[in-house]
Amino acid sequence: MQRIFHTPEGVRDIYNGECSQKRKVQEKIHRVFHRYGYEDIETPTFEYFEVFSREVGTIPSKELYKFFDREGNTLVLRPDFTPSVSRACATYFSPDKEPVSLCYTGNTFINNSSYRGHLKETTQMGVERIGDESADADAELLAMTVECLLAAGLTEFQVSVGQVDYFKSLLKEAELDQEAEERLRTLISQKNSFGVEEFVAEQKIKDSLVKSFVEIPQMFGSEDVLKKARSLTNNACALEAVSRLEEIYEIMKNYGYEKYISFDFGMLSKYQYYTGIIFQAYTYGTGEPMIKGGRYNGLMKHFGKPAASIGFALEVDNLLLALSSQKLISEKEDKPEVIEYEPQNRAEAIKEAQKLRAEGRSVALRLKKEVR
Amino acid sequence: MRYLTVALTKGRLAKKTMEMFEKAGITCEEMKDKDSRKLIFVNEELKMKFFLAKGPDVPTYVEYGAADIGIVGKDTILEEGRKLYEVMDLGFGKCKMCVCGPESAREVLENNQLIRVATKYPNIAKDYFFNRKHQTVDLIKLNGSIELAPIVGLSEVIVDIVETGSTLKENGLKVLEEVCPLSARMVVNQVSMKMENERIRKLIDELRRVLQEEM
Repeated sequence: MQRIFHTPEGVRDIYNGECSQKRKVQEKIHRVFHRYGYEDIETPTFEYFEVFSREVGTIPSKELYKFFDREGNTLVLRPDFTPSVSRACATYFSPDKEPVSLCYTGNTFINNSSYRGHLKETTQMGVERIGDESADADAELLAMTVECLLAAGLTEFQVSVGQVDYFKSLLKEAELDQEAEERLRTLISQKNSFGVEEFVAEQKIKDSLVKSFVEIPQMFGSEDVLKKARSLTNNACALEAVSRLEEIYEIMKNYGYEKYISFDFGMLSKYQYYTGIIFQAYTYGTGEPMIKGGRYNGLMKHFGKPAASIGFALEVDNLLLALSSQKLISEKEDKPEVIEYEPQNRAEAIKEAQKLRAEGRSVALRLKKEVR
Repeated sequence: MRYLTVALTKGRLAKKTMEMFEKAGITCEEMKDKDSRKLIFVNEELKMKFFLAKGPDVPTYVEYGAADIGIVGKDTILEEGRKLYEVMDLGFGKCKMCVCGPESAREVLENNQLIRVATKYPNIAKDYFFNRKHQTVDLIKLNGSIELAPIVGLSEVIVDIVETGSTLKENGLKVLEEVCPLSARMVVNQVSMKMENERIRKLIDELRRVLQEEM
């Protein structure tokens, strides 16, 4: 029989310096979560399929790792923490009476296509604020996003904020059928403005809406985008969506983090559960966002306790990739002090090592080579 | 300033792209040297890098962020299905994705019979037959000279790119159905679009200007 020593495709061992670097970064981020008063929660690695079903709106079912228990129930390795944490929160807390702030760290599993340079198991750290509908909560999570990245050691990064309601209210006004909606959503999220132009020209929608839809893919950048968004529509819901962003931006100024914030009205997540603002954080050196988050006011209803919520998840592996490609990781490792001893000196050696360890230093005891 | 990296599709598309870029004021002298064995070409003044890749690899480089920008055919974008921003139709390399075969195959297409389809683009063919036509087909993936398949009896029809149709005609084949129009597109990595917004937007505006002048 051929013996297998390598890991399956899409998962890997993390060892040597990389592992301790990862732990260190995780600790820094965890401290940020705690500084904002978020409490730790652990949820199981696998759950019933229903927690991640289509109605919840997480990733497509075919990308979930599924298996069965003895009774024939379908179980799923979590692809994302938000549904799990929401389920747990609905079971043990009363977010309708008092907002709940939770944070988590753990691995997620997505069965994506092979040979595409994506791992199937990745580490996520994130927070959820459940039962808080305010713009203050939105701003708090954005501030935490900024602080996590600063704490990790990044200096050049950008947090791009979108508002799903803007697009959704225009979509409602346009009264398109579901297939057309999907098509338009895809085109806009690909920033394919010529595609949008062609597509809306074929649909029976009024000129003012046509103009807005064509503009949306290009509506991203600094604060000016908000004014532009306002000028493009009279739709009350859409305008309210813009006001919300303006309010959040004002609060970000109180934190002093507004320089990291930009806006993008064409950002439409593939997670269907998002309802208000959504945001992503980027930097140089990784082709994908490091942090993704947003408001999901409808999700808790699925678990029987409706509550407005917002959260974000940080992809630790992506963050580490960015840190190493920007050369922000110090290669220096904390090597333990080594005490060598011979059998006859064992007692003193152990005594000495224990004393140093009690002082908080790391000490490795080694039996001298020639004796071994 | 960081380098802005552009992945070009090897061959005709790359040549046309560089012609267009030149009109927009972006040149790369290094690339004109035909004997060069370099893999990466640099324009130091503009801080831009160019490299040539096989079509299906271009979206891979861009999705991963190894290239900020890619120039690639719509057929490849559809087939690869990657997370990218598709920001511009460059207007050249126009052709169509079609279902082709001998005239006699028209009947089997219309009767919704189980047929064999040979193609280099299994994902596009699958989407067309399963989701749009609701016809069950056997897909056969080939890597070139797709026209051979119906002639030697490997399949009833093929799904392939048709530009002039002369190869088809010479071999007694016809366009039976049109799947979608194609042309060269500019794709951008989603992070680059945000981090290098100003430079990329300027590039797009310049290219749009060139495109409008040509029309």
